Amino acid sequence: MTATVSRRPAPVRAPATAPLRVSSNTALWTIAIGAVAVIGLWWQDTFYVHGFGDWLTNAGRITGLLAGYAVIVLLALMARVPALERGVGTDRLARWHAMGGRYTVSLSVAHTVLIIWGYAVIAHTGIVHQTSSLLTSYPDVLMATVALGLLVAVGVVSARAARRRLSYETWHFVHLYTYLAIALAFSHQFSTGADFMHNPKARMLWSAMYVVVAALLIWYRVCAPIRSAVRHDLRVVGVQRESADVVSVYLSGRQLESMGAESGQFFRWRFLTRDLWWAANPYSLSAAPRPDMLRITVKMSGGHSAALLHLQPGTRVIAEGPSGGFTAARRTRRKVLLLAGGVGITPIRALFETLPTTPGDITLIYRTAKADDIVLRHELDNIARQRGAYVHYLVGPPRRGANDHLSAPKLQRLVPDLRDRDVFLCGPAPMMVAAEASLRQAGVPRRHIHLESFAF
Amino acid sequence: MKRVVFSITGTVLGLVALLSFKSHGHPLTTAAALPSAGLPAASASPAPKGTVPTGASPNPGTRTSASSAAASASRTLAGDAIDTPYGIVQVQVTVTGSKIDNVSFLQLTAFDGRSQEINSAAAPILLQETISAQNSQIDTVSGATYTTDGYVQSLQSALDKAGIR
Amino acid sequence: MRVAALAQRRVVECMGTVFSFDVRAPGVDHATLDEAEQWLHWVDRTFSTYRTDSDVSRLRRGDCSLDDCAREVAEILAECSRLAADTDGYFSAYATGSLDPSGLVKGWAIERASDLLVSAGSTNHCVNGGGDVQCVGDASPGQPWRVGIADPAVAGAIAAVVVGTGVAVATSGSAERGAHVIDPHTAAAPTALASITLVGRRLAMTDAYATAAFAMGAAARDWVEGLPAHQAFAVCADGTTWTTTGWGTP
Repeated sequence: MTATVSRRPAPVRAPATAPLRVSSNTALWTIAIGAVAVIGLWWQDTFYVHGFGDWLTNAGRITGLLAGYAVIVLLALMARVPALERGVGTDRLARWHAMGGRYTVSLSVAHTVLIIWGYAVIAHTGIVHQTSSLLTSYPDVLMATVALGLLVAVGVVSARAARRRLSYETWHFVHLYTYLAIALAFSHQFSTGADFMHNPKARMLWSAMYVVVAALLIWYRVCAPIRSAVRHDLRVVGVQRESADVVSVYLSGRQLESMGAESGQFFRWRFLTRDLWWAANPYSLSAAPRPDMLRITVKMSGGHSAALLHLQPGTRVIAEGPSGGFTAARRTRRKVLLLAGGVGITPIRALFETLPTTPGDITLIYRTAKADDIVLRHELDNIARQRGAYVHYLVGPPRRGANDHLSAPKLQRLVPDLRDRDVFLCGPAPMMVAAEASLRQAGVPRRHIHLESFAF
Repeated sequence: MKRVVFSITGTVLGLVALLSFKSHGHPLTTAAALPSAGLPAASASPAPKGTVPTGASPNPGTRTSASSAAASASRTLAGDAIDTPYGIVQVQVTVTGSKIDNVSFLQLTAFDGRSQEINSAAAPILLQETISAQNSQIDTVSGATYTTDGYVQSLQSALDKAGIR
Repeated sequence: MRVAALAQRRVVECMGTVFSFDVRAPGVDHATLDEAEQWLHWVDRTFSTYRTDSDVSRLRRGDCSLDDCAREVAEILAECSRLAADTDGYFSAYATGSLDPSGLVKGWAIERASDLLVSAGSTNHCVNGGGDVQCVGDASPGQPWRVGIADPAVAGAIAAVVVGTGVAVATSGSAERGAHVIDPHTAAAPTALASITLVGRRLAMTDAYATAAFAMGAAARDWVEGLPAHQAFAVCADGTTWTTTGWGTP
């Protein structure tokens, strides 16, 4: 099926106001300050710690408080708040969530062990007796224990070793149980938590924190996409096969400029067909977003992406997003190198079209294993010609050492002023690792290398 | 792996530091510095602190218990009983010369609901089967207030007499 | 350094009734018991409505202002008004028409005396002031205090036994001397109950609640049921008895 976009695309309009961006540093500092405040709650509730049992119990209280806080932070990271998605970047948020998740599960286990042990020491009873006493006579502790079990199970399933063996759908389904775990564990915080039992103000603030994050989640993950679907009425208008295993999908609707998308970003796309409606998969925009058109270009590598080839025009689509921090806002220098590998060309192609530049300032390097893998070639050449930019196609299998296309010496030969450029890098994980290593070796400082990794 | 080690060590060190902070401080000054914010339901004021009839006896707040061994200059001092939102805190310090030998708690009724639970134990039990004064083995009697004369005839006086050696 | 127990029992006549001290191991020394005794006498001198020169009597007559009285007087009166609010007026320092905080003072004095003993190192003792008891700890290791409740109908007989650790037991009844219990709402003595015993943790509150509960009569049952950490045992005027839930199981 050929593309049906025949008229000239409308010119790109910059968004009316600069969209809100929360930087990584701001986010990290906010999280740290929150953690200090939470520890402060314990600090001002505790007068004196005396004896081994007291040490254990108080350590249990601190780890419990931090775990309850960490859980909310993790949810907030995944709430798809646009300011965070743009500022911190979706991939970094996901990495933080993964690391934080492991830490939180550990904190929860530590909290449980320390409390049981501490109580047993203070009351001079055995661990087993103390455990059963806690389970049976303390309100809500049984629910919290179930919650702990769920968290540990989610943690185990999320371990890299397990994830490799599970399909994404199974992993995602199990992961949803964390919501249940959080709900189950909440009540014991107030009914047995020493820092909350007699402190209505603390309970209020804590509840407010949970309510705010819940609201964010519901708004950005449920309401906003529905609202967007109603408002923009996004539909497939055409599908174009770019190569043997790559397809482009053209989408149109109303008032697309108010979605706030920028070149380099992606959406999570939910195609409302019988087979595809249940998944919202992330694909980058492969052209600058236009008020009347969006385009994605997807490598067909699984059941979902392969089905895109057969999308009928008129199919409704819900677009959740935009997400991703791989945008012009990251740029720090005048000269830019865009380095794309394989299907990583998609966001790069969009940036190539819109990154503000003067002739000679932008160079695009497109690395593929085979010549057949190159897609959108005529577009890239056109853009290069119109904007006075350079394109280099590096084709061939990866080679060892200095012979590789992406080795430091080769890159330096292609782009002599490499060290003075911003680099936007996107591609499969091994390619990105190798490319980043070469760039660092060639003297490009870390803060001038901008990455978008797809695997998160 | 490095990150895991770092985060575990960091957490443990952080916990130890926080807890150590709360274990320090001269106990008497710590007790004095504690907020006597709000009184638990019963007490109007920890009166024995200093308002007991002047001149008649030493202030119970800073008692000095006599040491039978004349040689040692060891003194035992009790700090003020401080009401906290969770209960009464009072420390006892043994001082030799000006050096503190030993610190312990006289009262530590509660620092959180948990301690309250341990210290107050289980709910009281009511025994209502046919009870006669002889086999009830009671320690004391509660009843409507008796007068001094009434006391003489009462069960309580019998118990008191039996107990006083 | 703990001083060995030198005295374990003491009986003090004060406030028109008799106070009994029963101190178990670890004991306290004579000086502590002397102090507790002097405390009780001081309370009597300050609060007794039977002494014309007590602070409360002078306050009542208008011979002095609250500022001239001991600090504790103001605090007791404040606590009385809070209790009046909590008990719907059934506890009142003005039940008889003029100021009389005795319903709170005796229990409070006993509780303070007990605190004195605790601050001197006692962890197990029982102070009984005219039938209102503050226990601390256990009678002996593993054996909680056993407090008999006097049968209001039969002198010398026991109606029930309260077994507990660190309990406060207060009984209010028609045989009450001193502040005759008056129902502030009817200005007459209540008649529904012969006696009611409240069990809690701290005697000042428990004693005041017992006084209020007795004035409430039959309504006391639901009211005590709603009080956290308090239980009641009552003997009605017709000889039947009732208890609230919340007692432990033997």
